[in-house]
Amino acid sequence: MATIIIDCKTYEVPLGKNVLETCLNLGFDVPYFCWHPGLGSVGACRQCAVKVFKDADDKKGRLVMSCMEPVVHNQHLAVHDADTIDFRKQVIEWLMTNHPHDCAVCDEGGSCHLQDMTVMTGHHERRFTFNKRTYKNQDLGPFLNHEMNRCIQCYRCVRFYKDYAGGKDLDAYASKNNVYFGRAEDGVLENEFSGNLAEICPTGVFTDKTLKEHYTRKWDLTMSPSICQHCSVGCNTIAGERYGALRMIHNRFHEKINGYFLCDRGRFGYEFVNAENRIKQPSINGDVVERTELETRLEKIMKSAKVIGIGSPRASLQSNFALKTLVGEDNFYHGVSDHEHDLAELAVRILKDGPVRTPSTKEIEKSDAIFVLGEDLTNTAPIVALAVRQAVRQDLSGEPEKIHIQGWQDAARKNLQQQRKMPLYSATIHETKLDDICTSANYATPEDIARLGFAVAHCVDHNSPAPEHFPEALQVRARSIANGLLAAKNPTIISGAGCASSAVMKAAANVAIALHKNGIVVGLTYTMLECNSMGLTMIGGHRLSAAFNAVINGHADTLILLENDLFRHGSFAEVGDFLARCKNVIVLDHTKSDSTDRASVVIPAGTFAESDGIIVNNEGRAQRFFQVYESTESIQESWRWIINIGKTLQHPKLQTWQNFEDISKAMASEEPMLQNIDEVNPAVDFRIVGQRIPREPHRFSGRTSMHAHIQVSEQKPPTDDDSPLSYTMEGTRIQPPSAMIPFYWSPGWNSVQSVAKYQHEVGGSLKDGDSGIRLLEANAASSLVYFQGIPEAFVPLEHHLWIVPTYHIFGSEEMSAKSASIQKRIPTPYLLISAVDANIYHLKEQDIIKVSIANISYSFPIKINRNIPVGMAALPYGLCDAPINALPEWGIVETSPLTELHDYVRKTKVQH
Amino acid sequence: MGKKLLLEHINVPGIETFEVYRKQGGYASVEKALKTMTPDAVTEEVKKSGLRGRGGAGFPAGMKWSFLDRKSEKPRYLVCNADESEPGTFKDRYLMEKIPHILVEGMITSSFALGARTSYIYVRGEYMYVIRILEKAIAEAYANGFLGKNILGTDYSLDLYVQPGAGAYICGEETALLESLEGKRGNPRLKPPFPAIAGLYASPTVVNNVETIAAVVPIVNMGGDEYAKIGIGKSTGTKLISASGHINKPGVYEIELGLPVEEFIYSDEYCGGIWKGRKLKACVPGGSSVPILPGELLLKTAKGEQRLMTYESLSDGGFVSGSMLGSGGFIVYDETACIVRNLWTFARFYHHESCGQCSPCREGTGWMEKVLHRIEHGHGQASDIDLLVDVAKKIEGNTICPLGDAAAWPVASAIRHFREEFEFHVKHPEKVVNPKHFEITPFVSERVAVIG
Ligand SMILES: Cc1cc2nc3c(=O)[nH]c(=O)nc-3n(C[C@H](O)[C@H](O)[C@H](O)COP(=O)(O)O)c2cc1C
Ligand code: SF4
Ligand code: SF4
Ligand code: SF4
Ligand code: FES
Repeated sequence: MATIIIDCKTYEVPLGKNVLETCLNLGFDVPYFCWHPGLGSVGACRQCAVKVFKDADDKKGRLVMSCMEPVVHNQHLAVHDADTIDFRKQVIEWLMTNHPHDCAVCDEGGSCHLQDMTVMTGHHERRFTFNKRTYKNQDLGPFLNHEMNRCIQCYRCVRFYKDYAGGKDLDAYASKNNVYFGRAEDGVLENEFSGNLAEICPTGVFTDKTLKEHYTRKWDLTMSPSICQHCSVGCNTIAGERYGALRMIHNRFHEKINGYFLCDRGRFGYEFVNAENRIKQPSINGDVVERTELETRLEKIMKSAKVIGIGSPRASLQSNFALKTLVGEDNFYHGVSDHEHDLAELAVRILKDGPVRTPSTKEIEKSDAIFVLGEDLTNTAPIVALAVRQAVRQDLSGEPEKIHIQGWQDAARKNLQQQRKMPLYSATIHETKLDDICTSANYATPEDIARLGFAVAHCVDHNSPAPEHFPEALQVRARSIANGLLAAKNPTIISGAGCASSAVMKAAANVAIALHKNGIVVGLTYTMLECNSMGLTMIGGHRLSAAFNAVINGHADTLILLENDLFRHGSFAEVGDFLARCKNVIVLDHTKSDSTDRASVVIPAGTFAESDGIIVNNEGRAQRFFQVYESTESIQESWRWIINIGKTLQHPKLQTWQNFEDISKAMASEEPMLQNIDEVNPAVDFRIVGQRIPREPHRFSGRTSMHAHIQVSEQKPPTDDDSPLSYTMEGTRIQPPSAMIPFYWSPGWNSVQSVAKYQHEVGGSLKDGDSGIRLLEANAASSLVYFQGIPEAFVPLEHHLWIVPTYHIFGSEEMSAKSASIQKRIPTPYLLISAVDANIYHLKEQDIIKVSIANISYSFPIKINRNIPVGMAALPYGLCDAPINALPEWGIVETSPLTELHDYVRKTKVQH
Repeated sequence: MGKKLLLEHINVPGIETFEVYRKQGGYASVEKALKTMTPDAVTEEVKKSGLRGRGGAGFPAGMKWSFLDRKSEKPRYLVCNADESEPGTFKDRYLMEKIPHILVEGMITSSFALGARTSYIYVRGEYMYVIRILEKAIAEAYANGFLGKNILGTDYSLDLYVQPGAGAYICGEETALLESLEGKRGNPRLKPPFPAIAGLYASPTVVNNVETIAAVVPIVNMGGDEYAKIGIGKSTGTKLISASGHINKPGVYEIELGLPVEEFIYSDEYCGGIWKGRKLKACVPGGSSVPILPGELLLKTAKGEQRLMTYESLSDGGFVSGSMLGSGGFIVYDETACIVRNLWTFARFYHHESCGQCSPCREGTGWMEKVLHRIEHGHGQASDIDLLVDVAKKIEGNTICPLGDAAAWPVASAIRHFREEFEFHVKHPEKVVNPKHFEITPFVSERVAVIG
């Protein structure tokens, strides 16, 4: 701790921070631009000037940039003396010389950091009377709008995009007051985290194009704390609605999960909520029906039927649990392929019964060595990929500290670090976006990835089984990975369901357990395929094939399918046959799919935006998302529909439930793995000083007129029986508990930078701590032994390709793929094969290859890749009409090979 | 005749070749240093010599060398700053063009002293032909065993490279230079860390001006103490002055520091007086970034003492009545010069060359240029003058690198000394319509007299 004096008052503050952070933590409003808690200091904008004095007698002092000034003991500072105030005003005046002042038509207006800082400094009179510089804007693709005239050259965008996120196609061009931030030429910003520019940029240069399409001011949105539903990471979001449509997804700070950022799938995937193909009315055999009719018909069907329920990894715990309760434990099945089912169960078992803890993304960011097995993280769990990049970017050499450079001195650290990186080892089926920072990147089939993993585990601890006939060259590789991990203090092993191999996941577990036995504090992360894969697994239920059998065997004739397109989880023929055999197919979903097309009864479920629910992320953290808006009468949460159905059937349990809280309580008492689940929920009657938490900011406008075309008098807002939030602008202005922050705002801080006011200390955890509860903790008394069952080395088969799934951030996830902006980024279908195989089959890029998988013939344009293993092919999930869920599987190549070349190339290449 | 240490053999035919240079005693410092001295002893001589950096800031070279982190396990680098881009400064080009081997020799001797095994000469892109000259000289030095492995049979080895810049003044700022040398955008770095600790590739690095490095040659040859005897006080040795402007004999002169300014301007050995029989109005004595001085204050300090060509004397009076020796870019203005126009030219340069990293310089220089353009072209307002003063004042000292200061000082000093001229432009727009306005009728000031 240090004693410092600011404006003649004494404060006790921690050492190791800069003066700007310290001042902000103490509640001083010091304006800033280029500094960002997630990016550190570069001292470029000169906005954060304060004065330091040599000692108490020094009356003159000197201006310094507070973001560049380390706190030292006995420091005398002035934030509010005339010179500094004057200078800070001047900086704004400078910035304004070329800023267009187009606030009234600027997307950022009213929630703009530049506006806030301008007001904060008091600059209000323009002495600059010349023409302003103007730029040409670029078309940056479907996500972001570019309005360069508004740029104040703070360099945040390039620092985030290039340094932090590893992007390659955004840069600072030209010089003087003509510096340009953009791409070398018009075109899609390629980095998967580009959307964060809309929040990082303190002005309206980069703004959310999807919001702009039906623009509304951000404070005119009705907002709720939500959880991203587009992968298993569970990033925290703020979701905002206006005029009955979801308009925006913003970051909601969670120190342990996503910090200040989101991936583009999470930010722009929301548009499926507003899509044309939403299910808005109940229908029976294709005819829209009234609610009452639906209820009577359902009652009739259900009373005379043998009903089974199939749950969903993308539906909330509440909805799944309600269905399970309705149909009974014996009749509840998981709506995922058996393969996926097993992988998820394996992950939960290892993390629950094993001795190794699963870390948060924040902890991954701090690991000093990482080994990724089989997972293309950028495409399966983007924010984890971003965390891995931060881990690699750490400089733990001690060199900066030796010359008194602190962690936040970003420019100096970057310069000192040069090419130095923390070790990252990866073994994947093909190249990934993290390869550029890998210590070693290995490309292999899932079997060989598993073998490498087992070999590494064996090197770490000889009690872990070793693969047989393991080539010496790979053994060397394994040894060096093992040594790298053994040299680390807190390494993380990352694997997941991505390459559809339990052997890979087991190998990862062995590596982690082996390190653990060496006394190393190791973390083990499994990324899953869907937002609630973990939660569904924890609820328990039977495998999908058992459901098929139940119908085939006549044990069941009616299916209730919950928020699930079964065709994504089983082969077309098999699922089609199954649905056809069911006498009644009742589907609860929000969006049309092949499954709803085959349903006799379709019930309109709410999306996350219209629902309350809890989902469990890959860290085993259960998190609550809150309804953003109540939709038209017919759309409601699946769990609410199921309660209603239960009531008409006089179901003993369901008829006692009234609201969200009731289900959650029941779930807590009945599901052994979810015992604490209702701790995630705030009590419905939670109030702050007697008031609810408003979903609408106090600046919300138009509420008396926005529905005037329907009814002139102002409508009564809906009441929320499921949460302490209200659908109005009235309510408490006191900071709500972390899980219930619907938006960020603080007097004078109208932009996202106001997050700082909600944190313990700037950049640190929220005042109320991290939301969500962890359901999976390491088992100290674990009896988990090393996994055996190492697969044989992969051997290519003549005329065959071993087809494994691969993933695309845009396109592979079901719901985001229905978002209009995301759709513009979805690649065309393809089959990825090695250059060697392309030669063998005499194919060029984009040529069509014919492959038969499980006796069905498919044609795919090919993409050629140098690094994918020979004899293997990768098929992107969700992009093609192919039985991805059945993968990995051998495909018989029907395109004829050039025989001699075939033999020659195969033999020589494979030996290597 | 003053002593010539750098340009002594400049007129010897073929001096640009290794052979002739060597015959004239060239590379003696390398032999002496490598064969008879330790690296520290060479540094000691440079310290004793009192040599100050010739790139502009005048920081004692020996002291800079001694800051180099010699404990680091990383390689050490010597980088020669040959980016010379400051308006009014062209001495480095002259030296490199005419007598390139003195720089190569200086690089070898200095690298030896610093323990550098790889050294670079960073040359501005516009000096392409100079780069070829240097490369030829370096090739000759390699061929003759003065560069490469085991120089002169000792265990000292050195590789020397020439790196062209892309033509940006800011890349002369030493940390921007290092960024550029590393292949990045030439934005100056924040300090700390200083190059002596973490410079090129985050390794200990010394950046010195061409002339500074060349001066190491005579220092080692004659001994630091002998060198220190030349000059006055803390301004030791000789200095190259790039003389330009309204004088009879513009060119590069080597002077002994301590030469009276008056003698430098009027003596036939140097500038040969003001051209066309005109009078001396003002002078920028150390390159475009140093404060301009009216004639009277150039020749005599405010205290009435004779002004000398030394670091101390030229800065006597601080910014109120003094200036700086800077890089020795000596620009002389006769009575017909328009101070406003001259300042606008400078402002245009600094605006154009700002890297665009920090707000005061990026936005302030452009603004000042616009205001000066307006005043010079007869569209100024009375308030513009104070506006300039205010903007310049707020830039000064508040930027990442000294380019901001370099842009602010000329503005502040020109208005300080020649405010009447600015007011004249504002009050009599019709009289400044012709770009050569004061050539037609020189401006007569009530406060500042022209001399001669
Ligand atoms: C904007 C700017 C441009 C500069 N340009 C040069 C230059 O062209 N040549 C030079 O030697 N020093 C230049 N300098 C000074 C260098 O930063 C540095 O101080 C010098 O190279 C050190 O060498 P010295 O100690 O030998 O003078 C420049 C400084 C600034 C701020
Ligand atoms: S575009 Fe935005 S983030 Fe980038 S430099 Fe300009 S103002 Fe800063
Ligand atoms: S990483 Fe996953 S949870 Fe996070 S924003 Fe992206 S898709 Fe959503
Ligand atoms: S003062 Fe000018 S040149 Fe120097 S860093 Fe700042 S903007 Fe760049
Ligand atoms: S915030 Fe400190 S200089 Fe930009």
